[in-house]
Amino acid sequence: MSKKETFKRVLLEAVDEGLLTLGESGREAVYFHLQNLYGVKKDEVPDKIEEFADGLRKIFGLGATVIEKAIIKSLYAKIGMKHEEKKGYSFLAYVKDAENVIQS
Amino acid sequence: MLTIYKLALALMVGLALIYAFQSYYPEFMSLFSNAFPPLIAGAAVIVSGISLQKYWRKHEERFSIIWLLFTVGLFFWFVGESVWMGYTLIWNVEVPYPSVADDFWIAGYIPFFFALYFYVRIFGSALSKKMLAIAMGVAIILALATSFMLINPVIGSEEDMLTLAVDFAYPLLDVALLSISFLGLLIFMNGKLGKSWLLINLGILSNVCGDILFSYTTLQETYYNGHLLELFYHFSYIFFLLASYIHTKEL
Repeated sequence: MSKKETFKRVLLEAVDEGLLTLGESGREAVYFHLQNLYGVKKDEVPDKIEEFADGLRKIFGLGATVIEKAIIKSLYAKIGMKHEEKKGYSFLAYVKDAENVIQS
Repeated sequence: MLTIYKLALALMVGLALIYAFQSYYPEFMSLFSNAFPPLIAGAAVIVSGISLQKYWRKHEERFSIIWLLFTVGLFFWFVGESVWMGYTLIWNVEVPYPSVADDFWIAGYIPFFFALYFYVRIFGSALSKKMLAIAMGVAIILALATSFMLINPVIGSEEDMLTLAVDFAYPLLDVALLSISFLGLLIFMNGKLGKSWLLINLGILSNVCGDILFSYTTLQETYYNGHLLELFYHFSYIFFLLASYIHTKEL
């Protein structure tokens, strides 16, 4: 498996775990709405991470940051990176950092 | 506009008209005023139950617990409304206050409060200190305003201590609910779930208005079945019903 594929798999697992913040039913509901409203299927989340983040914001408003943080924590733990909060850093920037670490 | 909003608006306008022209049909009004609340509260329980069915997975799951508590809270209020109807229409007690109905209404606040609390707690870390300060300020102002509005009629009242305690309990319990639900509104207001939280806030705010006016009018002995203030209670159930429905649509 290429590094890119590995990252996608790990990111998908992290998203899955992060969404568990809402419980199973909440997670299922989020996937359902992301697919129906924003055309993002569960398997496509790593390829459409911007749309995913945008969808979360549209559903949860400010509350999306809590789910994003849970995803980032899970992602960083999976790749053995220490997660430190950086001021002004967006969810996508954290994901990009993690991707760079795996690719390097 | 969604059909459900149009229906709710039509129902609210219809209710307002029924209450506005009640002098033309006093007997019907007496029946309607007591029989309608269990119907609308029952409808709110059913819609909340449908949401519970959608989100229920395991009893330890967050959304399962939240929707169970929300539904149980509404169910207690439904029982309270039914008991009140029993007193007024079957046993011909004109204003059964305080009564067993109040036990159910007050009991309903507990699961309702925890439903809101558990939901907001999941997303609590999204709130800034400024937002928390705003919410706390709103709660304190409302609690003070409520106490201020009731203190004069209480001092001049000859009611027993239990009645006076219940008079104060409802508005203050409403403020406790509102202080949590307002946090939910701040968290979700820019998202689709914001609509549902706005409706929950409107429902609780309607209860705040209804309960302050009810306490005030019973203290002044000017409350009667069919009083305009009852509209606030009816609207409150409509808002809760809408909130459950919209939540299942948006998530």
